[in-house]
Amino acid sequence: MFWTFMKLAWRNILRNKRRSIIAGTAIGLGLASLIFVDGMMIGMVNNMIQAATGTFLGDGQIHRAGFRRTQEVELTINEAPGIIQELEKEPEVVNFAPRVLSFGMITSAANLSAVTVVGIDPAREQFLSKVDEAIVAGAYFQKENPQDIIIGQKLAETLEVGLYDRVVITVAQAKTGDLSQEMFRVSGIFNFNIKEMDKGLVFIPLSKAQQMLALPGQIHEIALKLTDLRIGQNKDHPLWKKYSRQGNEALGWAGLLPELSYALHFTDFSIFFMALLLVGVIAFSIINTLFMSFYERIFEFGVLRAVGTRRSGVLRLILLEAASLGIISIVIGSILGLILVLIFSHIGIDYSGIEFAGVTFQEAIYPVLHVGQFIRYPLWILIFTIVIGIYPAIHAAKITPADAMRKSL
Amino acid sequence: MVETKNSEPLIRVEGLRKTYTDDGVPVEALRGIDLIIYPGEFTAIVGPSGSGKTTFLNIISGLDRPTEGKIWIKGRLLEEMSDKELSDFRRDNLGFIFQAYNLIPVLTVEENVEYIMLLQRIPREERKRRVRQILKEVGLEGFEKRRPPQLSGGQQQRVAVARAMVSNPSLILADEPTANLDSETGGGLLDMMRELNKKTGMTFIFSTHDENVMRRARRLIILKDGRVAEDKQIG
Repeated sequence: MFWTFMKLAWRNILRNKRRSIIAGTAIGLGLASLIFVDGMMIGMVNNMIQAATGTFLGDGQIHRAGFRRTQEVELTINEAPGIIQELEKEPEVVNFAPRVLSFGMITSAANLSAVTVVGIDPAREQFLSKVDEAIVAGAYFQKENPQDIIIGQKLAETLEVGLYDRVVITVAQAKTGDLSQEMFRVSGIFNFNIKEMDKGLVFIPLSKAQQMLALPGQIHEIALKLTDLRIGQNKDHPLWKKYSRQGNEALGWAGLLPELSYALHFTDFSIFFMALLLVGVIAFSIINTLFMSFYERIFEFGVLRAVGTRRSGVLRLILLEAASLGIISIVIGSILGLILVLIFSHIGIDYSGIEFAGVTFQEAIYPVLHVGQFIRYPLWILIFTIVIGIYPAIHAAKITPADAMRKSL
Repeated sequence: MVETKNSEPLIRVEGLRKTYTDDGVPVEALRGIDLIIYPGEFTAIVGPSGSGKTTFLNIISGLDRPTEGKIWIKGRLLEEMSDKELSDFRRDNLGFIFQAYNLIPVLTVEENVEYIMLLQRIPREERKRRVRQILKEVGLEGFEKRRPPQLSGGQQQRVAVARAMVSNPSLILADEPTANLDSETGGGLLDMMRELNKKTGMTFIFSTHDENVMRRARRLIILKDGRVAEDKQIG
């Protein structure tokens, strides 16, 4: 009997092809939007993570416990040489870069500014962060001159300095707190297009930073580049447990940038909320189509009931019609969604320079195609269409045969 | 009241009343009908429009509920049946022929005829055999794969007759079955039903204005203002 009802349902849906296609397209557009938005969100999240981790942060970092909170220069990584040796052999670590960080003051002939002085190993750093790629004037530590300094474009404007101009860096040394001053020559100017970085960071060679801070051979941070971004997202990954020892703390990007994690949850919520809105619009389309179809052939339901079809049979028939409409919509919506995502995954949507959740998009967003989009959302639509169909189905099942046929009997 | 056979009644109606509300105004469609129909009858219920013919057929077939009164069909009191039991009872015991044919337009001729047997869960082979046989009897061999809109009015009504009779019900209720047909087609259809009545012993009850039907009926029940005005055996 199921197949008879199924056959009836499909033929009824196809009876008025134009209406079914219009309704199917309306619902399908909703589905296509869901697929596209999901692809867009995946692209945006990837973009945000790449922007947050690829620019300078890395996929994860190791510090002495407490350093991130206090930024005290004395809190250097314990047993750093041993850790570096282990990281060389770590299969999940593609690259790493040791760093020294300290608050300091930069002074030019015209002005001064508070900055974070970052001592970097230029050779290792260029495989981890994008400092070298962000250079807009000068060069990236080419001649290994210990008095070279790279500063941000906005800072250069504040200090009113250009390439090869002299600046003085002042920092407080570890333990004694004695001031240490060195003159540097601006060898490069970078622009990350992130205001805080372009105004607040200066890069000097690692050995020079260690010397100024009286921290010979010691480092504050090891930034990591991993084989898979998801390792950085998983706070319980064994890698973080392994290196969180001897008073040190190892964290992935999700732990380093909790606000980014919240933003990612927010995107999930956004998709859910948008899905609810779309589904609400779709609901009216389904109800309207089913009721139009129902009232148009009300006498047929009367006939079906008269010849012995139970109420449950009529109910099943309408639900199968709703499901059939859902299937038509899924086919239309999936094709439209696929085309949309494919097109924009090639041309991208330009969000570069726009900041969201503390992260500035560096590149265009490319929606990402994912098989789950063509399972999860179509399934939602199918289930939702059937659930929405319950209302007209109950309405049809409740009508008495005599009332349904009053015009014709 | 006319009793045609010395057997158990097929239908017994006592004190049947039906009041509708039309725009808040109560309308008495049936005002107390007592009637007995015996198996094998070929009965016409006649009367002017609004006399209650269709209401009467609706109620004795369980398509509608009475305001008052009792109806027994094959000894079973309809008011004691649940909606599900009534559906099953109609499926197994009643056949309907409607003025507007009321075939399911998306089903083919054979699927329309087969539908009730699907509800009865009759095996496929048996269904196909009965469909072939009944379509032959009503003269629609070769029309199995056509859909109702592809048939003439007379042909559609023959499909309706085949659908009503294919499950061998005890009672066929036909509401103005010839109203949409020309005199010749209607006459041919009635002759066919009369033959089937004689051959199978199925009971036929018609509601009609048609002289053709009245001429062929063996019993005439005349309704007027919701009451039985006359009840007579013919021939």
